[in-house]
Amino acid sequence: MSTTEIELSFVEEAVRQVGRGPESLIPLLQKLQEHYHYLPPAALQRLCQLTDISPASIQGVSTFYSQFRHKPAGRHSVCVCVGTACHVKGAPMVMDALHSELNLEDGEDTDAEGRFTLEPVACLGCCTLAPVVQVDETTYAHISPKTVRGMLRDFLSQNGQARPAAAPSGSGLPPQGEIRIGLDSCCVAQGTRKVHDAVARALAESGAPAEIKHVGCVAMCYQTPMVEIVPLEGPAGLYVQVQPDDALSLVLKHFRPPTLLRRLKYATQSWLDRLLMDQDEPPALRRAIDPRDNRICEFMGPQKHIALEACGQINPTDLDEYQRHGGLEGLRAALQMTLEEIVAQVQQSGLRGRGGAGFPTGIKWQRVLETEADEKFIICNADEGDPGAFMDRMLLESFPYRVLEGMIIAARAIGAHQGYLYIRAEYPVAVKRIRQALEACREQGLLGPRVLGSDYSLDLHIMEGAGAFVCGEETALLASMHGRRGMPNLRPPYPSERGLRGQPTLINNVETYAMAPWIFRYGAAAFTELGTPGSRGTKVFSLAGKVVRGGLIEVPMGITLRQVVDEVGGGVAPGRSLKAVQVGGPSGGCVPARLADTPIDYEALAQVGAIMGSGGLVVLDDTDCMIDIARYFLRFTQDQSCGKCTFCRIGTRRILEILDRLCEGRGRSGDLDRLEQLSQDVCAGSLCGLGATAPIPVLSTLRYFRDEYEAHLQGRCPAGRCQALVAYKINDRCNGCTLCAQQCPVDAIPRTPYRRHTIDLDKCTRCDGCRQICPESAVYVE
Amino acid sequence: MPKLWIDDRPVEVPEGATLLDAARKLGLDVPTLCYLEGCHASTSCQVCIVKLVDLNRYVPSCGMPAGEGLRVESETPEVHHLRRTALELLLSDHVGDCLAPCYFACPAHMDVPRMLREIGDQDLQAAMATIKQDIALPAVLGRVCPKPCEKSCRRKTADGPVEVCELKRYVADRDLASGDPYVPVCLPETGHRVAVVGSGPTGLAAAFHLRQNGHAVAVFESRARLGGRLRYEFPDQLPEDILEAEIAAVLGAGIDVHLESPLGDALSLDELRNRYDAVLLAVGVAAQQDAARWGLKTARRGIATDAGTFQTAQSGVFAAGNAVRGKAMVVRSVADGKEAAAAIHSFLRSEPIVPVTRPFSSRIGKVGPDEMPEFLALADSAPPRVQPPDASDPLHLPIVSQQADRCLGCGCVAHGNCRLERYAIQYGAQPQRFEDGRRAFVQVNREGSVIYEPGKCINCELCIQIAERAQDALGLSFVGRGFDVRIGVPFHGTFEEALGSVAAQCIAACPTGALFHSPLHQRKRAPTDTP
Repeated sequence: MSTTEIELSFVEEAVRQVGRGPESLIPLLQKLQEHYHYLPPAALQRLCQLTDISPASIQGVSTFYSQFRHKPAGRHSVCVCVGTACHVKGAPMVMDALHSELNLEDGEDTDAEGRFTLEPVACLGCCTLAPVVQVDETTYAHISPKTVRGMLRDFLSQNGQARPAAAPSGSGLPPQGEIRIGLDSCCVAQGTRKVHDAVARALAESGAPAEIKHVGCVAMCYQTPMVEIVPLEGPAGLYVQVQPDDALSLVLKHFRPPTLLRRLKYATQSWLDRLLMDQDEPPALRRAIDPRDNRICEFMGPQKHIALEACGQINPTDLDEYQRHGGLEGLRAALQMTLEEIVAQVQQSGLRGRGGAGFPTGIKWQRVLETEADEKFIICNADEGDPGAFMDRMLLESFPYRVLEGMIIAARAIGAHQGYLYIRAEYPVAVKRIRQALEACREQGLLGPRVLGSDYSLDLHIMEGAGAFVCGEETALLASMHGRRGMPNLRPPYPSERGLRGQPTLINNVETYAMAPWIFRYGAAAFTELGTPGSRGTKVFSLAGKVVRGGLIEVPMGITLRQVVDEVGGGVAPGRSLKAVQVGGPSGGCVPARLADTPIDYEALAQVGAIMGSGGLVVLDDTDCMIDIARYFLRFTQDQSCGKCTFCRIGTRRILEILDRLCEGRGRSGDLDRLEQLSQDVCAGSLCGLGATAPIPVLSTLRYFRDEYEAHLQGRCPAGRCQALVAYKINDRCNGCTLCAQQCPVDAIPRTPYRRHTIDLDKCTRCDGCRQICPESAVYVE
Repeated sequence: MPKLWIDDRPVEVPEGATLLDAARKLGLDVPTLCYLEGCHASTSCQVCIVKLVDLNRYVPSCGMPAGEGLRVESETPEVHHLRRTALELLLSDHVGDCLAPCYFACPAHMDVPRMLREIGDQDLQAAMATIKQDIALPAVLGRVCPKPCEKSCRRKTADGPVEVCELKRYVADRDLASGDPYVPVCLPETGHRVAVVGSGPTGLAAAFHLRQNGHAVAVFESRARLGGRLRYEFPDQLPEDILEAEIAAVLGAGIDVHLESPLGDALSLDELRNRYDAVLLAVGVAAQQDAARWGLKTARRGIATDAGTFQTAQSGVFAAGNAVRGKAMVVRSVADGKEAAAAIHSFLRSEPIVPVTRPFSSRIGKVGPDEMPEFLALADSAPPRVQPPDASDPLHLPIVSQQADRCLGCGCVAHGNCRLERYAIQYGAQPQRFEDGRRAFVQVNREGSVIYEPGKCINCELCIQIAERAQDALGLSFVGRGFDVRIGVPFHGTFEEALGSVAAQCIAACPTGALFHSPLHQRKRAPTDTP
């Protein structure tokens, strides 16, 4: 479509809906992109004519955020998550496989037919299901190079078919219980939606008197899809790793169909099934788990749920149910207090910011409270972007009211009457749930001119990010909210003095707000009973990587990394050994196994060269290369640098180049010293937190794994990870079955039936496909 | 009035002042690139970084309010290290040559691009003056030089180098043929007397440059005729009349000559030292044998001298050229003569002698075939000519001029006026420290009157800010994110549209040579009628 043919009337419509001031620029561009699927130049020029926004702003902003496209895209987008957990589980190979599956040339992202546009995405926040690929709205879990073709085929076959609507229970009788199914983004990625649909069909067909209830995150990601059945009478059941085929037998186990005829029908059918399948029990029962089951107990044992309270039990968007679980008690208590008392309560609790830096929350509130101004604002920083972390997404999706309640308390404390939730663009479900929750809050008087009947007024709004990790930095976030490029500014002035629209502004992270209701419900003293003197309360982590039981966990501060990995996570896979735990994402460090007894608190983690960060815990085993990990993070931060200051813009690039050289066997003498010195300089000289912490993954791995760096300098990768430093070979166990030759995506293995195969190392892309498929284990890595 | 301490010195500044203001009030030369008075501090280049002692935090001084009681460090090794690193990082991403490759290839460091520009403008007198600043014997070198400049010429790999040597010879030959050869303006007499022993290329060049500085020069030659090795080393290339004419031009500045006066029993070194304020030994390769007799130490190839200053062990006695090197190109000897003259000049003025060093320069390095068209677009596309130019025929001047215009002008327009260059020199920054590949050389808006070179842009934001304030400018913005952020004109506009009436202001504000007036638009050229 040429630009002249584009109908531009929509631009006027968008301006009418959104506004014409400079602050409206990002929402306007989002509207245009939603409509045109990219930003046609003609539409942008029209936008210029219709608004007070300059051409320079439009160009600057639309090229800054990765959400915006300037070229037409394919009909479907294929987003490959390249988050940490996905990276260590093979996302780069998935990316390569998709690249060749779609026949893309270097630099191309859309296939010739214009069907798919392939793009890497920083993190989809489904770390426990790694590697993850999202095709349009459908998320596929555990993808490997082998399964990409099937995935695309599955998508094309599903695409356009309407899902069967959840049927009402067939009997018309009052429900005799509920069937809880988690429908968070990551549960859905694991196939829970299909299970949900199957359960709905089973209910409709059998007429069993039960109700499906959507609940939020179940946190036990390793066990999903999970179904919990809670009848009014009789025993409850928790079923894990449920398949759609299991749905009917699950329903029938707990609920009796209303008519004799149907009961007979199912009895006969299941008897026949058992006869034919040679099975003794209905299939799902084998995966039924008693909540008192040992493994579940271990997973839950050391945990303490504050932000995750009632995890997997309540419907995220049901305000009444939230209140039945103690919701709004904290807010009611806070509304009885003076502003100073609220702030004092938070100070006494010892709560520190959960976004990463750990600044004392009470002091922050105090500062905004003290600053005199006609107007003050509150912002919830929900621009979670750390690869390997998805706590905030889950809190927003599963506990929107808890986050909002915390925000209302904070807003009350500082005297703000307007506030915003800045939510990352990659979290559409979170945006939807918060939007619903805000609507419900307004309807029920939680927001509006009289909050809970008091004379305090407050309204909250959503601002969607547009794809820029750096906007998690508060001054960049403000720039973005002002409709500018998300580039950080020197602090001072701090947002508490001059923030949104130049007014004092409180900015806290999602999890920080989610802690507040509990503190006001049970009192600051109860909170201080948890954790360590310097780090009170609990912390939510996304536990992922090479661990048996990955999931979203909330543990009291002070618990050791080893407890988290072994007790909660069930340790690394059998036969593997723990090498390190990456704590704190791209700003954090790798704590080696020998320091695994380090307690999780702000100071102890800093002492071993890591940081608390926002809460990513990625477990690494002996097959992980530490230089590859450091390079992975540097590639991320380098890519996400806003490009403003010299140290971050060029410095992180030069660090990455040195790491690239090491991983590709091109290291130069002096590179390790150069790397260390430059890393320290970038930490010291960068303008904002992104640059100042970006080299920490390098410094911490240099500190604990210097021998591995030395080995790379000599052209060896001890973990066998760095593709350029390893070779795939075939030994004489090969029986010439040709499976590897068929598997090879680049024809690097000539087909030589009944004879030993060989690999052309010049063609080989080290995709590992041959090694995985070989029935004789004849393919080895050297 | 906040009071604070910088490097333990107290300073008071008005409310609202920055740490940079405070430092400047104390007379500290805090380097800045992205900062310009009257513009909003973008705090991006980070070379003005200072340390807040109490917070153990580094901040850009240009944007940091001068707070009451702050303790700040500016001129400490730690802070300087970070400033140097910032400069080195910027240089590692700087696609530009401060000085052209031919500058470094020529031992005499002649300003080749300038000479070529002057020839292109058909201003041969100016070209001659440019040549003679560094090369005392251009007609000779035009015949005997192995032309290292042309070997390094960027155009060489495309369609052959600019014929620097031939063009220089053309200018020199025309000058000699004019009957009124170029004589430099000499400074007023200093009263100092210098003896130059030997009249080969080193001696003649040294005499020429010493004389220019106002010193009385006497040349002592052992043979009956001046010229040293030029008399016998190039019988085929160097006609005698050219050599005679060029020597005469050098002597035209007023130089005493003593022929058949070898250094020996009749004329001892001590005697020369007594009669003259300084002595330069430029006696050629023979020095190796004679040095001991004169009471001088020898090194492997010739007389032992202090590296870079040409001083021998005896005070006031200097040695240069093949007397030190044994065997070298003539152009090397001519360069030695010039550099030794500068060393002697300093000595006579009782100033410390600064050893000769390579000047600082950012370097583009190798240029691949993909990039070459981008460079070629800067110059005349004429192919190299076939016939050598003949100095006697003035009709050839247009051809010569066109050939000179083949020069790509590799040096930077901002050389000498660039803040990145200035501070890099001041902080001893090494441009190669973080080298690993580079972005491609590109010029934007080349057809227009303002050219933008993204490779030299440091994202200071000044042109964006200045254009934003202008009423008639379309404006500029950053484009993209991260390492590849550069400046762009919205909606594919031109830089003329982007900058409107503030183009000159933006160019003046550019801290490097990233934004500049097109040389083609600036040069008022004589019309060339190519045959």
